[in-house]
Formats: sequence, structure tokens, C-alpha cells
Amino acid sequence: MIRLARLVLGLYPLAFRRRYGQEMRTLLEQSPVRASTLIDLLRGAVVAHLRPTGAAARLVGPADRVRASASGVLGCWVVFAAAGFGFYKTTEDQSFSAAGYAHPLLGDVHGTVQGLAALGSVAVLLGALPLIRTALKAARDEPRLRRWVSVPFVAVLVFAVLTGALVVAAHAGPSHRPATIGGIAFLAWGLAGLVCGAACVVAARKVLFAVRVPRWQLITASAGAALATGAMVAMTLATALYAGALPIDAGHLAGTPNGPFQSLSASASVVVQAIVMAVAATLAATATLRGWRAAAELRAADAPGL
Amino acid sequence: MRSIGERSTDPALLVLTSLAEGPKHGYAITIDVEQLSGVRLGPGTLYGALARLEERGLIEALPSDDRRRPYRLTSSGSAALTEHLKTLERVARSGLDRLRVAAVPG
Repeated sequence: MIRLARLVLGLYPLAFRRRYGQEMRTLLEQSPVRASTLIDLLRGAVVAHLRPTGAAARLVGPADRVRASASGVLGCWVVFAAAGFGFYKTTEDQSFSAAGYAHPLLGDVHGTVQGLAALGSVAVLLGALPLIRTALKAARDEPRLRRWVSVPFVAVLVFAVLTGALVVAAHAGPSHRPATIGGIAFLAWGLAGLVCGAACVVAARKVLFAVRVPRWQLITASAGAALATGAMVAMTLATALYAGALPIDAGHLAGTPNGPFQSLSASASVVVQAIVMAVAATLAATATLRGWRAAAELRAADAPGL
Repeated sequence: MRSIGERSTDPALLVLTSLAEGPKHGYAITIDVEQLSGVRLGPGTLYGALARLEERGLIEALPSDDRRRPYRLTSSGSAALTEHLKTLERVARSGLDRLRVAAVPG
């Protein structure tokens, strides 16, 4: 349990951890760690992100604040992508496409979400690619760094293999498999995806803080993060609009069973997805604003590599 | 007066009250607050309160003692706490008086 609590501590803003992290770790060692402690830490992490304290922020330089912002937005993107994939799965059936043709609002909003998802993915890639190149270069000379650099690649490979196995299993065997087995398999796959995504984010963050990065790359990463955040906010609004329009325009679809165990209606699923998206987009927006301010300081600074 | 907290179980108020006795580190504050009020502050709540109080200049950190850092009230923290507790005391006294009057038959 204490290990889990230490992991949750990693969710606090960098400035907060630098100022209070050691004391909080000591406190965790001195008191029993329960589920309520983890919830309290999680709540504290969210509050610390939403209401940062200026005194702690002054302990962190602009380059590290851009690093923290970029990796924070990446983490939000992973969570957002999970909800976005849920939206895609919920609305992938032919009947939803037909409803999109019959009711232009549903069709346009659905198309907008897909377009923005592509735009956001490109923004994340454009922001990350120069950093990945720098990290790979640095990893050639540092064995310790090599281990962290390899983590995202291994995680993506593991997830690709799991996805392949799930697709093969879904198309093989009896066509009338119990829904429970399919639900468990889908849920396990989703959790594995989140774990792999988390591993990518943690490793990327470790590497980002360990290597010397040219200033222009940090500014590019900040711009990519801002664009991805804009896409997340717009997708959240579009998904919320879809959630509102579905029961009105296609009431017969809104009530259809949905989710891994068919336990939610399609309408309720889209609402849950929109809520997760809103939380991720809000956290990403706060990280982006802070990163943008730090990037402005960087632009004004003289240091070529940070 | 800069508001400390609206409730008597507000973490900021409990932390300030605990520090009124003298400097304490995180663990000692947690234990003291629990004995004082029956409220066990989780680490997230405690350090969130400490960070806000420190930023507002109501408490200050002392040099680190091992891996623990003690905190103490500043003079403005002491003044803010005094004023807040006096308000609470006034409200509590008035409330109790009114209850006593209401309980008298006739």
C-alpha cells in the first residue's frame, strides 16, 4: 500500500513535490496507509494542480516547468484517448452511422470528434518527435537512460500484441460466446492499455528530466501540448453535444445496452466518456497554461540548452 | 481579517490551532489535530493546508530536522488565528445562551 501511495505522490505538481515531497514520504512511513489515505492523496494532487502555490513554483526553473507541463499533457492525452476510444466503440455500429446521416447534428459532431482526434494525435507527435530524437541520442551514451527510453517502445509493443490477440480471439471460436467473457476480455484489454499508457508517460517524464534539451525543442513541445489541449477541449464540447443530442435525435439508440457488460445505455456511456474527457481536458488546460507561461520565460532567456 | 476557514474542522484552522502550542512537523500536527478534534488529516489534506498557509505567510518552515521539517506560526498567523477563534467563541457563546433561554419553560 505504501508503494502505491508513493506512486500517487508522483501525481503532484513538480514544484509541490520538490517543496513537500520528502516530508510527505516521511509522513507516509510514520502512519498506516489505508485506502482513505490514497483517496486523500489523489484529491490533494488534483487540488494542487488546480490551485498551485506560488511559493513552491518558485523552486522550479522555467525549463523544468515546461518539462512538467508537457509530460502532464501527455498523461492527460492518454486518459483522454481511453475515453475517446470508448466513444468510438459506443458509436461504431451501423445504426449510429445511419442516425448520423438522418440527423446532421449527430453526424457532424461525430465527424468533428474524429477530425480533432487526428489533429490532436499529430500535435502530440510533432511536439514529442524532436524530444524523442534527443532522448535516443543521449541514450546511446548512457546505459541507465537506455532502460527508460526502451520502456515506451516495449509498452507499445506489448499493447499491440495484446490487441492482436484480442482481435484474433474475437474472430475465432464460437460466434455466440457469453457476453461476460467478452466483457472481461475487453475490460482487461482496456486496463492493460491504461497501464501501458501510464508506463509510457512515466518513462517519457523520467527521460525528459534526465536529458539536456535544446530550448527550441521545449518550446516546440509546449506548442504541441497547447494544440493537443485545444483539440481535447473541443472534443469534450463536441462529445457533450453528442450526449445531449442523442436522446433527442435518436432516442431508440440512446437506450441500447452498451459497455463491456452491456450494463450501461449508450447515452449513459457517452455521458461518462464526456465527463472523463472534461476532467482530462481541464487538467491538460491548467498544465498547458503553466507550460505556456514557462515557455515565455524560456524564450526570453539566453541559455541554449536546458 | 483574511479568512482561515468557515468550519471549525477546516484543516487550515486545525493546523494553526495545533501550531499555536509551538513548532511541529507533519506527523506531530496529525497526531495533535486528531487528539484535539477527532479529525485525522490525511497527508494530502495536511500538506495542502500547510502549503496554502505558508503561501499566505501565516506559518513558516523552520530548518529541516532530519527528513522532517517543523513549522511554526508567524506573527500574522497568530493574529489571524486569535481573531478567528474570538469570532468562533462569540458565535458559540451566543448560540449556547440562546439555547439556554429557549430551554427555560414559559
